[in-house]
Amino acid sequence: MRMFALDYARPAEDPQVTHAPPYRYDPLLQVNVLDDGRPAVRDHALLRELGSTTSTAGSKTHFDD
Amino acid sequence: MTVLILTCTQDVTADLVVDRLRVRGVRVVRLDPADLPGAVGLSGEYGDGGLRGTLSVGDRRVGLGALRSVWVRRPGVAGSGGAQASAWLTQEATQALYGMLRGSGARWMNPPEASYLARHKPWQLRLAQECGLPVPATLITTVPGAARDFARRYRDLVVKPVSGAHPQDPPLVVPTSRVAPDADFDAVALGPTLLQRLVVKRADIRLTAVGDRLLAARKEVSPDAAPEDVDVRFAPSTRAWRAVGVPHRVAAGVRGYLDAARLAYGAFDFAEDHEGTWWFLECNQSGQFAFVELDTGQPITEAVASWLARPRPGG
Repeated sequence: MRMFALDYARPAEDPQVTHAPPYRYDPLLQVNVLDDGRPAVRDHALLRELGSTTSTAGSKTHFDD
Repeated sequence: MTVLILTCTQDVTADLVVDRLRVRGVRVVRLDPADLPGAVGLSGEYGDGGLRGTLSVGDRRVGLGALRSVWVRRPGVAGSGGAQASAWLTQEATQALYGMLRGSGARWMNPPEASYLARHKPWQLRLAQECGLPVPATLITTVPGAARDFARRYRDLVVKPVSGAHPQDPPLVVPTSRVAPDADFDAVALGPTLLQRLVVKRADIRLTAVGDRLLAARKEVSPDAAPEDVDVRFAPSTRAWRAVGVPHRVAAGVRGYLDAARLAYGAFDFAEDHEGTWWFLECNQSGQFAFVELDTGQPITEAVASWLARPRPGG
């Protein structure tokens, strides 16, 4: 027997495998940038595609979604 | 004067606000408390009846007295990023950082002590009730008999984590889930379990509160949605979020909630039933907002940036 809610659990996606983003943090600009140097947030289509800002983003370490 | 943003490097939602503040000409220092000590430096001296302190990250430095606001977004655990990480170092780094920042006179989104309390979902439910927001019948229990009795009275239930957190060992997610009709409730004895009457909803509501501004968005439930898909975060959907007005009574309740919780920011989740009632589900004190803004065009980033850019009290 296990905790009741765990009967409704499912495996979490591994963010290292499924969501390796095509941007990196630039400490000078203090934002994440694409390979061409543009801030990643200017590319709304990319953010939608990656789900980087959705209410499940960051669930692994934060529970304020 | 500077806006201090405490968050991890992967937080692209914070990027939106950093970008907006830069356009407005507001100085920003962004750092992750996980990097203290190490990439982040902190020093404060108490003398002559006052505190003089500085924070640094890379080549950026800011005096504690020059902070207009602090945004606690998605910070790592203080002291956790280095090779010498330990529970004691975390305690020391947390006390040093937040203790000194708390004495800086800056405005907070949100104050750490308010955030701590606001994360407690059971407290959220009670506060929502006190503020006049409709709350679905809910039971939190470790008593199987109480769970069985609740199920008899309300029949169709959902279960969700009490804390909102997900298990990490191994990594799992526990979406809000419909309880099976033949569920055996013996296992609630193994851990506090949150059961709630299912709200048969026609839409999900995400209401983002930034200071005095309330920005609500609505996402209709797809007509072909599976009855088991009750958690909007995990349910497949082709519907987009659309901006929606906030009913007067809800607005009053939300403002009362924010005042009582001493929150400058809150992301409220409601379920809209077929009579149009908005049922309070939870308030995430650091909830995501960009996914709503991308769909609706609502100026949430601008609202957050504006709040952070305001002068500090007496400044």
